[in-house]
Amino acid sequence: MRRRPGIGGLQTAAAARDQYRLVGENVAKIRTDMMKEQLATFRSQLEEFARKHKNDIRKNPAFRSQFHEMCAKVGVDPLASNKGFWAELLGIGDFYYELGVQIVEICLATRPHNGGLINLQELCILLCQRKSDREAVSEDDCLRAISKLKVLGSGFEVISVGKKKLVRSVPTELNKDHNEILELAQAQGYVTVEEVERRLSWTSGRAIDALDTLLDEGLAMIDDGHRDGKRRYWFPCVSSNSNPVADT
Amino acid sequence: MQKLGDFKLPHFFNYPPYFTLQPVRDTREKQVQLWKDLILDYCRTQKIFVIGLEEEDFALFSNPVIERSLSHEARAAFLSALVSEGRAEWLDKGHRKCLILWHRVQDWADIIFRFVKDNGLEDSVMTVEEIRSGIESRGTELHGIDRTILMRALRVLEQKGKLAIFKGTSADDEGVKFSM
Repeated sequence: MRRRPGIGGLQTAAAARDQYRLVGENVAKIRTDMMKEQLATFRSQLEEFARKHKNDIRKNPAFRSQFHEMCAKVGVDPLASNKGFWAELLGIGDFYYELGVQIVEICLATRPHNGGLINLQELCILLCQRKSDREAVSEDDCLRAISKLKVLGSGFEVISVGKKKLVRSVPTELNKDHNEILELAQAQGYVTVEEVERRLSWTSGRAIDALDTLLDEGLAMIDDGHRDGKRRYWFPCVSSNSNPVADT
Repeated sequence: MQKLGDFKLPHFFNYPPYFTLQPVRDTREKQVQLWKDLILDYCRTQKIFVIGLEEEDFALFSNPVIERSLSHEARAAFLSALVSEGRAEWLDKGHRKCLILWHRVQDWADIIFRFVKDNGLEDSVMTVEEIRSGIESRGTELHGIDRTILMRALRVLEQKGKLAIFKGTSADDEGVKFSM
């Protein structure tokens, strides 16, 4: 039987809508409450964990890196702010900010020598030498600190060349050719024009051009002293044990 | 760490490209600076006052470990850099011998002044040879000082009226009368 239009019908429909809305709101509220409760539990658990393992997080680089991994999985960034409970609890923000400052200092100090490109491994070694209050620093820590430096827009960047990671502190753009040469140089610390042409199947012009750029940028140094008379191009950023700063 | 006698060599001494003059300005400046420091340091600890420009004249001009040696051009460039800073002087027109002043002449004069004061020689007379090799100077930096440098420092003091140099009958008995 068809309902006739009338004031009663309209009122019934409106009342039904209100009922639905109320029920819906109720369900949503229950869900949010549950969610909040879960989050609170999670937060307190995480706090408790952090408090319990505070020392491990501060002292042990491997533990620190796993802690970061865990945080990343649940979508928490302990470095996002220095004001949050992480900072108060762990001082972990300060840890990375200090590390960042020291990385900048080392990059600047070694720049005349390596042209602003430094091996991540070497950076780590220099950092450990400097940190007198011996908290070990891992490469993972360096990477995190460097990623924080990006906020400064100062062009700190980590580039991968072959198996090695290099930290770049100058705005030089390295193209693919340069990267390939750096990768080649990792074997012995140097390359020759001949070697570049042969191994990468380049024309001689291409090799010389790329090497000249690297030379101009201060990333390479020439060596004409070998008996065979062939000019060698050395790259301080990929050779270990060549750093004058390590002396002091 | 490689050593030369009891001298600890810096890392860069084992890095081959530092033995070739670098063509890029910034890199070369850094290179020259490292070499200047090394040469002064080495001469100071080994008490070397004069170095010749030939490769075999000076231990730092070559590194047998990495089979590299400095070219004549590089040797001249590093020494010239020291000369232009007042830390060295060419002894001849042909630039074959170089006097290394790890203390500047003025600093040597101050050292003599202190030496005289410390030993209560304010009004005494000494020969130049005595200052270089006498008992009083034993154990001080003055012991074994190069004669040329010593005479230059003494003249600085003479000009200030702190002493008078008088000639004996031959070059090696020049004497000094202090009046400090």
